[in-house]
Amino acid sequence: MMQIKHNQLVKLGFIKLAIIALFAPFMIAACSDSSSSNQINNKIDYTKNYPPSNGGTLIDAMTGEPSSLIAMIAGESAASAIAGNIFNSLLKYDKNLELTGELVESWDVSSDQKTITFHLKTNLKWADNQPLTSDDVLFTWQKVTDEKTRTPYGSDFKLVTKAETPDANTFRVTYAAPYAPALDTWAGLHILPKHLLKDQDINTTAFARNPVGSHYYKLEKWKNGQFLKLTRNENATQGQAKIDNLLSRIIPDKAAQFLELSADNIDSMGLNPIQYARIFPARPDLNKNIALYKELGNSYTYLGFNLKRKPFDDIRVRQAINYAINKQEIIDGVLLGLGEPVASPYKPGTRWSNPDLKPYPYDPNKARALLKAAGYEDHDGDGILDKDGKPFTFEILTNQNKEREMTGVLIQRRLNEIGIKANIRVLEWASFLGRFIKPKEFDVVVLGWSLSLDPDQYSIWHSSQQAPGQFNFISYSNPRVDKLLEAGRLELNPDKRMKIYHEFSKILLEDSPIVFLSAGYGLTAIHKRVRGISNPAPPAGIGHNTYEWYIPSAYARNEMSEH
Amino acid sequence: MRKLLSNPLVLIGFIIIASVLLLAVIAPLVAPYDPDAIDVKAILLSPSSIHLMGTDGLGRDVFSRMLYGARISLMVGFVAVGIATAIGIVLGAIAGFYRGWVDTLIMRIVDVMLSIPTFFLILAVIAFLTPSIWNIMIVIGLTSWMGVTRLVRAEFLSLRNREFVLAAQALGAKDVRLIFTHLLPNSLTPIIVSSILGIASAVLVESGLSFLGLGVQAPQASWGNILTDGKEYIQFAWWLSLFPGLAILITVLGYNLLGDGLREAYNPRSSQH
Repeated sequence: MMQIKHNQLVKLGFIKLAIIALFAPFMIAACSDSSSSNQINNKIDYTKNYPPSNGGTLIDAMTGEPSSLIAMIAGESAASAIAGNIFNSLLKYDKNLELTGELVESWDVSSDQKTITFHLKTNLKWADNQPLTSDDVLFTWQKVTDEKTRTPYGSDFKLVTKAETPDANTFRVTYAAPYAPALDTWAGLHILPKHLLKDQDINTTAFARNPVGSHYYKLEKWKNGQFLKLTRNENATQGQAKIDNLLSRIIPDKAAQFLELSADNIDSMGLNPIQYARIFPARPDLNKNIALYKELGNSYTYLGFNLKRKPFDDIRVRQAINYAINKQEIIDGVLLGLGEPVASPYKPGTRWSNPDLKPYPYDPNKARALLKAAGYEDHDGDGILDKDGKPFTFEILTNQNKEREMTGVLIQRRLNEIGIKANIRVLEWASFLGRFIKPKEFDVVVLGWSLSLDPDQYSIWHSSQQAPGQFNFISYSNPRVDKLLEAGRLELNPDKRMKIYHEFSKILLEDSPIVFLSAGYGLTAIHKRVRGISNPAPPAGIGHNTYEWYIPSAYARNEMSEH
Repeated sequence: MRKLLSNPLVLIGFIIIASVLLLAVIAPLVAPYDPDAIDVKAILLSPSSIHLMGTDGLGRDVFSRMLYGARISLMVGFVAVGIATAIGIVLGAIAGFYRGWVDTLIMRIVDVMLSIPTFFLILAVIAFLTPSIWNIMIVIGLTSWMGVTRLVRAEFLSLRNREFVLAAQALGAKDVRLIFTHLLPNSLTPIIVSSILGIASAVLVESGLSFLGLGVQAPQASWGNILTDGKEYIQFAWWLSLFPGLAILITVLGYNLLGDGLREAYNPRSSQH
């Protein structure tokens, strides 16, 4: 089909292409709309109800191609998205984000909280029919902690002082001290098959492109730069998924993905706020066939101060800037209203997010008063605040990301109103990290953090994590926060842990080492032929039950035309 | 001059350039809004009598931004070409006047510079410097002097042995006097023509750099970065791509018409009667 499609595309799109190319060379992909299949599909009524059934192919789009399907080696999101359908972990998060067993039936924590014993389910099998046992788990742990393995995820597992397999269904780990994030780390580690990898170098093995796992799907075909096709694993440890095949097409440009979605060549994609709020409402033809889903994402945007530089070591200056920034304006202007304000580094509405905390309100007068208290006034009457004869001016650094750049422009204007002159500098990601973040050569950054499900944020906020390349690059150091973060790692009781992190968030908000700006919604479009999607999404997001999604055979694509 | 403007293409080019320059100069008087004034309640409005060219993703008036952007785009063109021409004249004059090993050396440097794709050289240099309007002018200037150098050298080589030069030399004129009062004025025409064409390409390079995010930095407007901003909205906010695209196209066309017209008019083989 792709071959034929391509020819059509050249003919139909040529005139349009010529016009568009004049003004935006990057939009060349734009000509793939208005294919004939679109017209046919418009006649199908997608409102009928059908009971769940097996079969069909779900086609989605991803912007990047995985470098490997061994997630611990690849490290990028494209890899974990695909590998998550192929490999199991010992534990998983359920739809309410509570830990539950995946490969394990149950687990016990010893009374001194240092030893965890996992009891594997019986009769687990790899896709190639070999048994999956505790030996495989031990092997995976050995690999992830091996110095020769090039993985960024080793440090959590190196805290395990002893790992043993008393029998084929039992795996036991012992930590030197209680380690609260331990269970979360085991929920993130894909178990690899020892029988296929024991004589291989995990960094370079061909297994990375030809994996054998135990989850719902197995890799059928990987065409470089084009697609990865997964097909149902008959030996799956978690039961059978309803949809037969998952096809992930690699389409780097969001605008091109959108055109493929409009032409019914893909079933789902992540949307940006413009596509969601501006393009979709204007296209009733799309709304008829495609459903939109909105859920709070797992990341937030912030403005971070280099606390080693003056005057950002002064809490009054940081709070003043926090008061001077209008967060709602950023949500309205940049995210087109598709986001929420945040007041802590935890997803609003989850257990770890402190419901008592509110973001700093927009209050320029309070900002001016705080700056005056810190010694900043406009002595020379040039409209810019100054102290000791030096004007208050600094540089806002961010990477090439349209939303962050627009955020920077909005902040710049608000700061200008209270007499602070800020310049914006946008950099390409590699030089941004290498030349500015690692050597800490910046005043202020606009960046984002993705959140893990465990509340431990030791690596971001603890004062010991400031070396070049570590995550506390803003050089935040507060003995009370250090203590709380250390206590949080040792506390396994969820309620006590919650109190610790609520207290930590409160100090963080008051200290204002960063200005919390916004948390954007994750916006997804999925074709209405796909059924079984939970709406509204549970805390774990709409993707929590993809194995229950189904495509009624009346709505299935013509499978013959797939390749 | 009259003969020049009687050529309709030159006249069109002249009118285009003159009006763009005029608009750029009087931008603060004509612009209906502050080009940086953000209004999140008026995002992406289509062109109307209130906003002639609509508004962008932050609710800024595109018409005002286009006017101020014209200042940036044209200033980059003039300054960059000024730098390139100055370097080109000096090196070309030295090479063409003294000939010998100096000439060989300078021409080999020119060859080396010409062998590197200019745009990628500029990209690499800008990646190391802070992208700012001044750096861009300097970098474009420092990477586009080769054409002028060759041109000036060729003119000098051909003028060097003409009678009036030899006569001046025989009268005891020094090198500097020979170069500046006898040779240079006689080679001005091709220099002017190539400068005007050079401005056109400098405007294009600046737009390209800004389009890639390495040029003029936000919130300052230039045609290139208005165009980049528009790229994301092209499916429904056509005005964000159309107007800056047209502006670049028309301006570059204007400079090319004018430059070509001048070359035709002053071509010694067609105008020496």
